[in-house]
Amino acid sequence: MMTCRLFYFAVCAANVLFYGATSVLFVARQACADESTRAVAVATAAPTRGLDVTDAIVETFQQRNGPIFEDWKKPRALLVITGELNGYIEPCGCTGKENQKGGLSRRQNFLRAVQAAGWPMLAVDIGGQVRRFGRQSEVKFQSIADGLRAMGYSGVGFGSDDLRLPAEELIAAVAAVGDQPSPFMSANVGLLGLDANITPRLRIVEVGGLRIGITSVLGEKEAGQIRNDAIEILPAAKALEGVAAELKNSQCSHQVLLSFSSPEETKTLSARYPQFDIVATAGGADEPPAQLTQLPGRAQLVELGHKGMFAVAIGFFDNPALPMRSQRVPLDARWGESKDMIRLLGHYQSQLESLGLTGLGLVAIRHPSGRRFAGSAACADCHKRAFEIWKDTPHATALQTLEEQFPSRDSDPECLSCHVVGWAPQRFEPFEGGFSGMASTPHLAHQGCENCHGPAASHAAVERGDVRASLTERDRLRQELVLSIDTPEGKQRATNNCLECHDLDNSPAFEFDTYWPQVEHSTTAPPDNQPASE
Amino acid sequence: MNLRAPNTWTVAGLSLFVGALVGVSAALLESASRPWRIGDFIPATINRPGAAVAEVEVLQTVYNFGTVGLGVTGFHEFVIGNTGTAPLSLKRGATSCICTVSDFETIEGKSSVAEKIVAPGATTKVKVQWRGKGESGPFRQKATILTNDPRREEIAFVVEGSVVPTWKAAPEAIVLTNVSRSSGQRATVKIFTFGPQPPEVDTLTVSHTTGPQAAQLFSLSTALLDPAEIKAETGATGGFLLSVDVNPGLPIGPLRHTIQMVFRIPEEVTAEVPLVGEVTGDLALAGTAWDSSRQALSLGTVSSRSGLHTQLFLTVKGPHRIAVRPVVREVVPQSLEVLIGEAKPVGNGAVLRIPITVSVAPGSPTVNHLCSPQAPAGKIVLETAHPDTPTLTIPVCIAIGP
Repeated sequence: MMTCRLFYFAVCAANVLFYGATSVLFVARQACADESTRAVAVATAAPTRGLDVTDAIVETFQQRNGPIFEDWKKPRALLVITGELNGYIEPCGCTGKENQKGGLSRRQNFLRAVQAAGWPMLAVDIGGQVRRFGRQSEVKFQSIADGLRAMGYSGVGFGSDDLRLPAEELIAAVAAVGDQPSPFMSANVGLLGLDANITPRLRIVEVGGLRIGITSVLGEKEAGQIRNDAIEILPAAKALEGVAAELKNSQCSHQVLLSFSSPEETKTLSARYPQFDIVATAGGADEPPAQLTQLPGRAQLVELGHKGMFAVAIGFFDNPALPMRSQRVPLDARWGESKDMIRLLGHYQSQLESLGLTGLGLVAIRHPSGRRFAGSAACADCHKRAFEIWKDTPHATALQTLEEQFPSRDSDPECLSCHVVGWAPQRFEPFEGGFSGMASTPHLAHQGCENCHGPAASHAAVERGDVRASLTERDRLRQELVLSIDTPEGKQRATNNCLECHDLDNSPAFEFDTYWPQVEHSTTAPPDNQPASE
Repeated sequence: MNLRAPNTWTVAGLSLFVGALVGVSAALLESASRPWRIGDFIPATINRPGAAVAEVEVLQTVYNFGTVGLGVTGFHEFVIGNTGTAPLSLKRGATSCICTVSDFETIEGKSSVAEKIVAPGATTKVKVQWRGKGESGPFRQKATILTNDPRREEIAFVVEGSVVPTWKAAPEAIVLTNVSRSSGQRATVKIFTFGPQPPEVDTLTVSHTTGPQAAQLFSLSTALLDPAEIKAETGATGGFLLSVDVNPGLPIGPLRHTIQMVFRIPEEVTAEVPLVGEVTGDLALAGTAWDSSRQALSLGTVSSRSGLHTQLFLTVKGPHRIAVRPVVREVVPQSLEVLIGEAKPVGNGAVLRIPITVSVAPGSPTVNHLCSPQAPAGKIVLETAHPDTPTLTIPVCIAIGP
């Protein structure tokens, strides 16, 4: 009997141990799996792609540019920061749009994906929408401002290039419309004076139950580069005194400073006003770091990269152990295209078309050689072999690629300059006698011979016999157009010429030695219809 | 109390059953809360005792090049070790923009993909090359290496630094926004140089992009920069301040010139700085309802019941700005109420802003001045007292409906 009882208690004890062990194991495994389990469950709802984007595209760009919001759970609020668009309203598509990041269209789809996931969100931008001066930049700034309004931005600062535009154009773009407040703001920049109150100096936004105070400044170094008497700019540090005090008394959960200045100047401002826990700066590297930089105190420094290729998202959580997380968001093809922004871009391109080169204030500049253009067809009369090779290269249909884009960009000087004959590629301006439209100069369409060899109107006229010239003059005109790559100097000259269009933005993989064979037409033989003795 | 012990085997069986039930429930509950996912599990080779596995060891993944000259190629060799027991395979992954990863070879007969094999216990170097092509300024680029280490299938190497050019203009262009035709303006630009010697300026010229006469309207001068200013520019070894005096009399319209500079550091450098802007009259209008393309106040269709209230600003610059005191002389349609506010200086006072409030009172009669051939524009005519523009006519596009 005693043995049975002992056995009975032993079994009971074993069971208690078994239950206990099972429970401990269960709790432990749950605890260990807590973050990843929840993350996986939530990841299905996290904004990781645009609407209607295929799995293959999403996987491709996850591998290429990294996953988005991996292991994130729903934040209490998400702050999205963008900036330094630098005029890149849309990737140009020169090397395939899918190979380029940025653009308002993808940006809107990213913001929409965040909203569709049910994450409370607010978007702000440090400014720097354009980087050039002139009518095209004015039209572009207006279009971008319209786009930012449509995307529901809560705060937008000014960049130095923005403030070089005429004040009347800026006011038309940024001022409040009816009862819709302006998203633009600045603590130290006042269009027509700070007391004109055209834009506010700060804004407080409630999102996800959090009060977030936002202000922006233009750095002193940037301000020193602006010559625009219709705009009042105070020193950033001084202007922030009053604004910071107002924000301090506003019971904000978080305070955000959008600083359009160098990282060094931004850090100095942050040290002086440590109340800002999020400090976004301009002037960093092309690609922002994967993580925010912790500054002395509690501030996190946000770099945004250039040309609007990235957004930075900062999530606020109730978890005291992890109150804030950040995500660098590459605006790549995984976000797809937004019809609304494509429509806006179409309107922008239509405006450029209706203004025309004259309306855009483009004045033809003299070519450094002083010569005029003949068109590629004129070269074909003698240089038959080279012409035959050229007409089978993409250069010969360069303008067509602009016409075929949606929206088409064949009226955009920033695109035309590398797709027609007779323009200064990096200045986006026509040379005298260069392409001015299909109606007036169809013979100068596409990327032709003279963009590398130089204007050849005189040479062609002499060779055709339209103009009489001495043999010396004829030979001089011929020699001026020779572009030889047989010497290091010649090859460097040719390479530099290519780089005018095959630049970092539009042709990042360009290497002369790999690209040249695709268009090679060099010959030591004389032109096809000339005797060798010539 | 008569405590009767239950049957031992019954208790034991029941306990095992309840225990199994709890265990199965726990397992089910957990698996339901954590769905199966490919990649959740470490491959069997790791768990298999004694199985050979490659293990990556990387001590450094970020390298700062410091300053790199424009067009100069720099490289850094990152060291990757294999602390595992199987050969470590390394393959090139994606690289951003202008990074290249070299030293990878195709293994003949084994792999068509460029691959590098590291024996257990050995290390290798991966050369990440940066080309200083394109723009100057800070850069950060990434090169990825793919491995067969199941614990670390990808290594991202980052190179960063700053590209230093031969020379640099700050700002990159001289932009003169809305230069007054009747008054001069001075603009400056700092030219920093990065050569072995401070710059010696040889020539300064303005291109004749809008005619030789226009070029005569500019005066150029230089002065060496203070050492403190040079020191503030990373990597700069010298520099000068280029001043451009724009004289009165430029024609109204866009300014598009280039300032060409030749200087020696000691090699000769030819540099260009764009000089762009717009020459305008002394009076300009601004406001949300001001349509600069049409040069008209665009008020659209206004309900007679609600009326309208909007504000314009007249900006005045130039030597006569203090004398300008606008007075309303004529308004079409007459139901527009126009009030001129007090002139106030903007910033340093080179520009005055004068608010103009335009209102349509509720109950105003219906009219159509929508700027079409059938409905010609209305207008607001101001007497300004400006000697060059004594009368300013503001076209108004408006329809007042019921």
